[in-house]
Amino acid sequence: MSDQITFDPRPQVVTDGAGSRVLGSLCEGCGYPILDAAALCCPRCRSTDLGQAEFGPWGTVWSSTTIRFPLPGRTPPYDVAYVDLDDGPRLLVHIEGDGGAPVDSRVRLTGATESGDVRGSVEGTAPMERP
Amino acid sequence: MSVIYGVGTSMFGRQTGTTAHVLGQQAVIEAFADAGTKDVQAAFVGSVFGASGVAQRALHPLGLGGIPIITIENACASGTTALHEAHVAVESGRFDRVLALGLEHMTGRFRGGIHPERTDVDGASGLGLPGVYAMAASRFLADGRVTEAELAAVSVKNHRHALGNERAQYRGDYTIEQVLESAMIADPLTLLQCCPISDGAAAAVVGVDRGVGTDVGIRGIALRSGGLWDHLSPHVWGFDLVRATAHEAFQRAGLAPTDVDLAEVHDAFTIGEVVTTEAMGLVAEGDGGPAAARGVTALGGGLPVNPSGGLLSRGHPLGATGLAQVAEVVWQLQGRAGARQVEGARVGVVETMGGGVAGIDGNGCVVAVLG
Repeated sequence: MSDQITFDPRPQVVTDGAGSRVLGSLCEGCGYPILDAAALCCPRCRSTDLGQAEFGPWGTVWSSTTIRFPLPGRTPPYDVAYVDLDDGPRLLVHIEGDGGAPVDSRVRLTGATESGDVRGSVEGTAPMERP
Repeated sequence: MSVIYGVGTSMFGRQTGTTAHVLGQQAVIEAFADAGTKDVQAAFVGSVFGASGVAQRALHPLGLGGIPIITIENACASGTTALHEAHVAVESGRFDRVLALGLEHMTGRFRGGIHPERTDVDGASGLGLPGVYAMAASRFLADGRVTEAELAAVSVKNHRHALGNERAQYRGDYTIEQVLESAMIADPLTLLQCCPISDGAAAAVVGVDRGVGTDVGIRGIALRSGGLWDHLSPHVWGFDLVRATAHEAFQRAGLAPTDVDLAEVHDAFTIGEVVTTEAMGLVAEGDGGPAAARGVTALGGGLPVNPSGGLLSRGHPLGATGLAQVAEVVWQLQGRAGARQVEGARVGVVETMGGGVAGIDGNGCVVAVLG
């Protein structure tokens, strides 16, 4: 049990003047972006030649929901979205505010929540060009 | 071709004062009586949250000591994975007669939703399975592939089907409005669009063809795990896995989706039935919701789906669900389904889908064509 308590699979978020990005890996064989900075292997081409990578801060909502039922350690409701980062993988993002995240919204990663989840904000409700 | 000699189940629902292995024994005793034999050479047992040794604890009081007992965890598809392995064991000649059992006691473990796995990236981020399915539903809504009323129609239909199933956890004659007005769980899925936490067990005795006309053939069965589900995926979660698994099962059976008289599919949430019926080719793409709303997939319609009430109403004891679906199809094909009988059913299909691992299209999917 102690391994489960100390191990956190969620991606680490870094924030600086260029905005917030998540740490991951990039396959040097096929270019596949992997949402795991400690990945051992590319799940697409099976290469073990991986480099460190940062993904974000911009992406597009693939889908979203509001979780309204209780789960351990969570206080509902909260908005989450699967966001396809422009240069990276699809990841689960907790959305700031109360407006939700309609499909195809543009999202900017803004950091991590107090409980350590990747956080983002909706910056437009229609698809727009990457800044 | 392996055949099913007999099936059995426990009741489904909140069953306090008992446990998974006792429910398992109830299912096995009924399946043995149905099969007319207690003589099995091995047991494949599906369980997701069961205690260590739950299979042996279920089977040794029934005198099933000494035989190989193989316990299988494959999320919600554990029960049908047990059936798949039982089938392969018979087909390959390893055994002549085997038991497939699924069992689960969930109400002693969870209140509300299943706790997401904290070593999983999405689980640790607070998604949970209702959220996984809600993501598919919200995408389907945004793409105009289903409406909220059509999603609700799946719930109305399956709760009505369960009116004829005395072993179901829930049943009722709801309206679309009542479904939509029930408590929101994960937008757009309301409470009546979500399966309950359940206790239950189901079993099947599988063996070589013994020449008994009422035995039900496993015409074709396939088991797959999901490929990558990521930013490159063209479909909602699970669609590609269900489609590939169904294609393989129908191909093995030498049959097509148009040959099916009834289906028991994985409606853990209403959107699950919509996506699955489309992915399996039981209805055209885009017609999963309309088919439910028009009554095509209701009892009396062209292709009844989930005549048992499905996971939404019969209940969803994870490890048991797949074999509960199999039991329903066997009863239907033998004309023993009572008030919910699909008249003249000759070919039935079962589909079970397990999830919970982020980044793949499903932990496992099993499709079995029976007849």
